Amino acid sequence: MITLSDIPPRAGAWLTPQIVVFTAILATAPLWLGTIGLYQYLGIEIAIWMIYALGFNLLFGYGGLHSFGHGAYLGIGAYAFGLFQHHVGVSLWGGLLAAVFAAGIAGALVGAAVSHRRGIYFALLTNAYGQVFWFSAIKLHWLTGGEDGLLNIPRPTLDLGFARVDLNDNMALYFFVATALVVSVVLLWRIANSPFGRVLQAVRQNESRTAFVGYDVWWFKWAAFVISTLFAGFAGGLFAMAQESAYPDIMSLHQSGLIVMMVLVGGGLVGFWGPVYGVVLYFVARDVLGTLTETWLLWYGLMFMAVVMFRPEGLAGALHVSARRLPFRAAPRRASVGPA
Amino acid sequence: MSTLLPHIFNGLTLGLLFALIALGFTLIVGVMEVINLAHGSLFALGAYFALTILGGGWIEGTAVGDWWMGVPLGARYVLALAFGPVLAGVAGMALELCVRRTYGKAPLYGLLLTFGAALVIEEAIRVGWGTGEKSLPLPQAINGAVLIGGLIFSWYKLFAAGFALIAIAAVWLFLERTPYGAIIKAGAHDSEMVRALGYDLSRLRSLVFGLGSALAGLAGVVMVPIWGLRPHLGVDVVIPAFLIIALGGVGSFWGAVIAAIMVGLAVGITGAYASAWSMMSMYLLLIAVVSFRSRGLFGRKSALEV
Repeated sequence: MITLSDIPPRAGAWLTPQIVVFTAILATAPLWLGTIGLYQYLGIEIAIWMIYALGFNLLFGYGGLHSFGHGAYLGIGAYAFGLFQHHVGVSLWGGLLAAVFAAGIAGALVGAAVSHRRGIYFALLTNAYGQVFWFSAIKLHWLTGGEDGLLNIPRPTLDLGFARVDLNDNMALYFFVATALVVSVVLLWRIANSPFGRVLQAVRQNESRTAFVGYDVWWFKWAAFVISTLFAGFAGGLFAMAQESAYPDIMSLHQSGLIVMMVLVGGGLVGFWGPVYGVVLYFVARDVLGTLTETWLLWYGLMFMAVVMFRPEGLAGALHVSARRLPFRAAPRRASVGPA
Repeated sequence: MSTLLPHIFNGLTLGLLFALIALGFTLIVGVMEVINLAHGSLFALGAYFALTILGGGWIEGTAVGDWWMGVPLGARYVLALAFGPVLAGVAGMALELCVRRTYGKAPLYGLLLTFGAALVIEEAIRVGWGTGEKSLPLPQAINGAVLIGGLIFSWYKLFAAGFALIAIAAVWLFLERTPYGAIIKAGAHDSEMVRALGYDLSRLRSLVFGLGSALAGLAGVVMVPIWGLRPHLGVDVVIPAFLIIALGGVGSFWGAVIAAIMVGLAVGITGAYASAWSMMSMYLLLIAVVSFRSRGLFGRKSALEV
């Protein structure tokens, strides 16, 4: 079986063929989204969740740190964005910065408390902290608006200096979010394949051994946690803008579990692009199965169970295996040098 | 102090009920090292089966259904109390057939599989019984209120707490004083040796999972008259169960019971001062304890820590 630790080709590059293809798909999406029966807003949602999922996978897939309360940081980002617009001033960059910082600070504090834990206890503690944030979001009515959440969050105008773009148009917002996604992909690709990313993978494979080699394991786990919460907060800010509201439901255990499901089904455990497949599959399943049957979650859940039982390497792993079986490919080389 | 007393009493009853919820969870986690996130959904499933046994449900309107509704409520309740959990146990054994594929892999896979199962069971409940809030009819004998020392208590809550006490004692006796309990504990300790001694390990695991699920179902039938019955009940239940096991320590029977009572007391006493925040106290209790004692109060080393 392939693993994330297989060093992909052009690992050190800022731009790889996959990133170029991905960018091209994103750039042309508005042209064909309608013809295959989907709609523009779905593109925004998928792009935002991809940022969230890719950031999450740095922790989950690369670091092997199974956070079960990550929705909290998405939610904190969303609330921070909304509160900034309501109380400080309507500003796009200000709001997004507030979202990233708020989630990052929360992540730094929680990360400091959980980073000396491993395995199931890490999952448990992140889950407990996530529940505390979720519960606070519901109960701190004066700050967060309780169960209803923050409503009427404006979509500020994008001011580039030479041009001003009104993001109230879904098409404009899509291109803004897609650009943010490409930037995030490049950043995360570089982080995952940097020396830092390699040590993180060593932590996943054997934490004690990594410590004996001389790395400060605690610091690497903490940094991975904070980086992933920064991306979650950023995605949260974008989500608040897309939804024009922020509400506690995105912080619930249910949602924190869904992101784990998406990443796993897509194959986040075996490849950088796993979360991307997983997010697309989830949202397309939601919209396509959702129109056919009200019980689409039943079928999605059954599919997820089947993936865990028979193909835990997920969609990315299955694609990899079928690519290997194509007749024009040479016989498989050693797995450790194969493309991820 | 006297104003706090009812809250402490409430907390104690709640603690016993939490212990009942956590019993099946701790059995499965201790013996099989599977975090069964479908525990809450099996809890709800047991209660829904009991609802069907009590109220006819699917057979309502037919001749059989009419005859069944003529049977005294007390008798139907006893049957529901017995067969709701049994059916939940059967569902659990079916789930174990799926979980089987994750043995020997990282504990994450068992946890993820049962998370998916929780989703599936919840949706299946929506399909089978509808999405609305339901309630279990109770026989007159255990309904109503009772006056103790000038304070009013719900008779049913006392019944449920007493029932929880009996169940805890029964499970303890089963594990400690019967040969079956000895085999189960041996299976948790050294599964290879148990297999070498000629016991069918996969049947043992299937039975333990079934038993744990039946206990979840039993807790469901007992708790639902207090908490109400809705399809997404599972999530509300599995979190406290999970939390109690972490607090008490994986694999420790008394750890789970003591942790459950601590959580119940924490929720009950917080309820006296800040009722809106009462459920928050259990998370804070967990964070406070697990931050200093990573294995919980009475935990021992387990495969879950890798």
